[in-house]
Amino acid sequence: MLALVAAHLALAGLLPLLSARSHRAAFLVGALLPAGALVWGLANAARALGDGVTETTSWAPALGLSFSFRLDALGLVMLVLVAGLGALILAYSAWYFGPDSPEAARSAALLLAFAGAMLGLVLADDLLTLYVFWELTSIASFLLVGQGGEDRASRRAAVQALLVTVFGGLAMLLGFVLLGEAAGTYRISELLAEPPRGPMVGAALVLVLIGAFTKSAQLPFHPWLPAAMVAPTPVSAYLHAASMVQAGVYLVARLSPAFAGLALWWVPVVVAGLGTMLVGGWHALHETDLKRLLAFGTVSQLGFLMVLFGGGGRFGDVTALAGMAMLLAHGLFKASLFLVVGILDKRAGGRDVRELSGVGRALPGLAVMSVLATASMAGLPPLLGFVGKEAAFEAFLDGGGTPGLLIALGLLAGSVLTVAYSARFLWGAFASKPGVAAAQPQRPEAGLTVPAWLPALGGLALGLAYPLVDTLARGYAAAYPPTGAEYHLALWHGPGLPLLFSALAVALGAGLHRLREPVTAMHRRLRTPVSAQRAYELTVAGVERVAVLVTGRIQVGSLPTYLAVILTAVLLLPGTALVLGTTLPDEQVLYHAPMQVPLGVFVLIAALGLVRARRRFTAVLLVGVIGYGIGGLFVVDGAPDLALAQFLVETLTLVVFVLVLRRLPAHFREARSPRRVALPKALIAIAGGAMVASSAVVVSGARQQAVSDVSREYIRLAPEGAGAYNVVNAILVDFRALDTVGEITVLLIAAAGTASLVLATRYDRHRAERVISGSGGPEHEEEVLG
Amino acid sequence: MLAVQQISGAGQVLAQRAQLPAIDYGALAPLLVILGAACVAVVVEAFVPRPARWGAQVAVTVLGLAAAGAALGVHLSSGAGGVVTLAGTVAVDGPALFLWGTLLALGLGSALLIADRTVEPGGAFVADAAVRVGTAQDRAQNRAQRAQPGGTTPGGTRAAAAGGHEEMQTEVFPLFLFSLAGMMAFTAANDLLTMFVALEVLSLPLYLMCGLARRRRLLSQEAAVKYFLLGAFASAFFLYGVALLYGYAGSVALADISQASAGTDRSDTLLFGGLAMLVIGLMFKASVGPFHTWTPDVYQGAPTPVTAFMAACTKVAAFGAILRVLHVGFESTSWTWRGVLWGIAIASMVIGAILGLTQTDVKRMIAYSSVAHAGFILVGAMAMTPDGLSGTLFYLLAYGFTTLAAFGVVTLVRDAEGESTHLSQWAGLAKRSPLTAAVFGFLLFALAGIPLTSGFTAKFAVFSAALADGMAPLVVIALVASAVAAFFYLRVVVLMYFSEPAADGPTVSVPGGFTTAAITLGVVVTLLLGVLPSFALDWAALGGFTS
Repeated sequence: MLALVAAHLALAGLLPLLSARSHRAAFLVGALLPAGALVWGLANAARALGDGVTETTSWAPALGLSFSFRLDALGLVMLVLVAGLGALILAYSAWYFGPDSPEAARSAALLLAFAGAMLGLVLADDLLTLYVFWELTSIASFLLVGQGGEDRASRRAAVQALLVTVFGGLAMLLGFVLLGEAAGTYRISELLAEPPRGPMVGAALVLVLIGAFTKSAQLPFHPWLPAAMVAPTPVSAYLHAASMVQAGVYLVARLSPAFAGLALWWVPVVVAGLGTMLVGGWHALHETDLKRLLAFGTVSQLGFLMVLFGGGGRFGDVTALAGMAMLLAHGLFKASLFLVVGILDKRAGGRDVRELSGVGRALPGLAVMSVLATASMAGLPPLLGFVGKEAAFEAFLDGGGTPGLLIALGLLAGSVLTVAYSARFLWGAFASKPGVAAAQPQRPEAGLTVPAWLPALGGLALGLAYPLVDTLARGYAAAYPPTGAEYHLALWHGPGLPLLFSALAVALGAGLHRLREPVTAMHRRLRTPVSAQRAYELTVAGVERVAVLVTGRIQVGSLPTYLAVILTAVLLLPGTALVLGTTLPDEQVLYHAPMQVPLGVFVLIAALGLVRARRRFTAVLLVGVIGYGIGGLFVVDGAPDLALAQFLVETLTLVVFVLVLRRLPAHFREARSPRRVALPKALIAIAGGAMVASSAVVVSGARQQAVSDVSREYIRLAPEGAGAYNVVNAILVDFRALDTVGEITVLLIAAAGTASLVLATRYDRHRAERVISGSGGPEHEEEVLG
Repeated sequence: MLAVQQISGAGQVLAQRAQLPAIDYGALAPLLVILGAACVAVVVEAFVPRPARWGAQVAVTVLGLAAAGAALGVHLSSGAGGVVTLAGTVAVDGPALFLWGTLLALGLGSALLIADRTVEPGGAFVADAAVRVGTAQDRAQNRAQRAQPGGTTPGGTRAAAAGGHEEMQTEVFPLFLFSLAGMMAFTAANDLLTMFVALEVLSLPLYLMCGLARRRRLLSQEAAVKYFLLGAFASAFFLYGVALLYGYAGSVALADISQASAGTDRSDTLLFGGLAMLVIGLMFKASVGPFHTWTPDVYQGAPTPVTAFMAACTKVAAFGAILRVLHVGFESTSWTWRGVLWGIAIASMVIGAILGLTQTDVKRMIAYSSVAHAGFILVGAMAMTPDGLSGTLFYLLAYGFTTLAAFGVVTLVRDAEGESTHLSQWAGLAKRSPLTAAVFGFLLFALAGIPLTSGFTAKFAVFSAALADGMAPLVVIALVASAVAAFFYLRVVVLMYFSEPAADGPTVSVPGGFTTAAITLGVVVTLLLGVLPSFALDWAALGGFTS
């Protein structure tokens, strides 16, 4: 199975070569591969309905990643939709895209790649394999949708689709990982055999559901799907009707046998599903663009499917039977209808309800086929849609109790809307409208009509051959607890509540369609306070606002601010360690020589003065003063050698500074910062200094390491071996004299280098109009120093 | 040592003859080759006439990298295990070898980007960095630059190379080699002092390289100054931490610190204070938030090839050192510092993801992305398991190549003023140059962690290791941060594919061989590690630290 998927991806990579010669050939060659996949699936149907066909290929053993695939009843149904419709739609595309369409080359490759990814998704038997293909379908879909998008609206639509599905995908990945960790395995079949339980699983399931809802455009994530209708029609037919959007439903169906008993799983699924069904159906009633009408219809139908697959554990296996039938039916009729819209768009000059008129009379064949498909959508006998809907009502009415009745009533309302928008579709596409000029459609060629006819006929054939569907669905529904009486999918179950509901739906739906103008007027007056679209926009805008705010505060490009951030972190990190682990050394005295007090005050005053200094030279001098003050403290503490070193370094630094200062302006140029900026800076600086000082005290007290052998030996040897009473001196000039010589040498070389650099760049040498070396000349110095 | 011996010759103590430490030249060869190449490059800079320098420097650099790679290969194939050499200061063990290989490969890519003279006529580096911006000399330099307009054609390049003004500052090559050698030493340093020296060796050349941009020189110099000042602070913290740890353990060797901290009643103040200071220094180099503040400004200001080098190699080196410090020196005390590192990792991921959202400059955006990625890598570095170690090493490899190629693409999109890094200028890039947009889109998908790119396998390796080591909440936060970060990567993809190109937008230069090779290298590795990660994962898991 991996080979099958890989073949799709590989051929997709090669198709552009073929497209360069002929678009049509590229599409047709591409169509062969999904057709082959379909044949392979059907040939393995018997095994799939039995134990299932499995295959595992190791991917990254070090990570425990592998590609696992399994073909079972549910997989087979999805395979039929994905591969069968994929082949048809690719063939349709061969005629849909003109010979010099700029989009054709890309579409052919991407559609095939998408088919491969989708195939991998529905066959995956490993949560991570599933995730991999899930994300690939998101990206392929994004690239497919995006190609037409040049205006602002379609751009936003593409971003929205991508953001919503990728966000959902990542949430789902997290859910998968949690689920896999809780169960100890990522294999779906093992997971279903022994479902894990626990609080972790609850969180995991919610995350997985977010992923499923985003992909299948469920409430409140639904707005992305109608927005994605800017894509070319074959793409919409494939992605947004038959395959990709069904992935969320598929995921719920896949995991439901294990978790459907949990209220945490089925309640959100059923509630969101019902809500989506109603909202989608309601919006579909008012759309004037046939494609958007179908998109909202898809949203609605996906909600219906969610209800069916989510309710399986609570309401028994009949819901699963209904779900399987509806899954198949929906893929077939929706693909057919989308293809019809594509034909209308190309050959009848548009897809706007208000502009199409008289198409039915001109193209009766197309109208008949559409009637067939819409009838299945509306749930009319003897089509597959009717078989599924009957079973759905039966499942919730029979033994479902009050919740079952409520759900059934919800489904009835949804079905009424479905019938109404089905009628609206037919009316909009084919009816002759008074006051609108009749369209003069061209006759579509067989390449366009045959792929549309086949799924429509499929809905009829499967409706008549319901035992076949029943066998297929039973292979999946066996995983659920059985309901009392054995139920089989069939066209006729005798009179009863389900039949009454079906009839009511058709009658009320037809009525609703008659009243379409007042209803639409009412819809216009209705102002919904909560809109999912607005919520999405507000979320995006809100995140951006927060980000701008934070960036404006801390990433201003100012060095002091950056330093403040780092200092704060320092205060928090070692500062916390300091406070927590503090053992103050005993007998701390403030000072032990009176001379320390004036020196300390002197240093402090110099430091404060430094902060206030406006002239660079003053600032440099004050830095020197601080250094000399510290040196003085060394003297008081009886370390004249240290003090000497300090004085020397300070003097040297001062000299270097003065050399540099010659090239800098005399004053600091920045304006003094206002108090509200200066104060936090001062506080952080003081806190940082205090932290370092106090840590010095604490740390010196904390040291317990015994004096090392080397040190003891040095101390012993200094007087007798080197005749020195200052051990440090003895080490520098005697014990490690060679090191010292080396250091002096390095220092000398560095100093010589620095000096030569300073001297070399004093003046510029001009040789034949070329500047040889660096900095500005004397005039420039004047200019800068003023 | 010798001095000590002389005195003790008169006395009686320390009588044993001091042994010169044994040096395993085979193991050290890659490092020595790079250092040697750096010295040769200095000599070239001094003695080879200017017109011939560029060629000579490129040859020295590439040959040096190749020779070091060959030496690494020889050492690896000899099957020697972890070696501690140079008197215990350098450990050439499994992770060090992996990181050396990574650094050399990434270094080759960076060197190619640095050496390129076709995208920007004469190279991305200024001819004479010492000329002050705004002076007469600078204006003369700019005029010389403008004299060769456009200049993406090979003919223009040759003219540029021939005209003396156009020659780039070739000192960048020895600087690059020294920095790379410092990075290699950094990842193999077995004691903290060696680590500090390596830190300075790697940092000082980088500070200089940041200031060498040919275009927008003030921005570049400002970046260099900021990087230098903040880097100096970080180095000071590092050194302070080393001092405290020496006070605690009486040694700077990581193994001794580990030994000292296991089962003693010493006061922990020094240990924690020291570790905290050390971590700050290391985190700064790895641009982990909240020590990342320099990153966006420096990434933006530095010449893009240098940014690529910094983003890829510095991160690898810094995390190599972090891994070694944590695994070798502080494994036994992991329960004490983990809480703090949790905080840092979360801060880094959140800062990178949230602040990245507002960026309108491609380079700054990738900078923030690097902050977020640093957080992800830190999550792996905290997992004290073999899986954690190998996963983190793998992540570094994967991230390095992706980000290198991404910056390589950034150098290509330009207008008359140089690189066009403002995002609005990238709008509709797919219509102008489908290949560039596709490559950059692929790299962004990799950064976002989409499957079949190295980003996914790397994230998976790191997160699953962290999960197995009991860091589930952190992994959750990391995934949320990934989702937010995906937002801004994908937004750029959308921008490139769905927007109308601006009328006066930038053009995409046709890169010369060097840049093409670097980008191809990055893209191919990104794809390979995404599709067939086993090879690299197995190598990363080859061995633990030796000390």
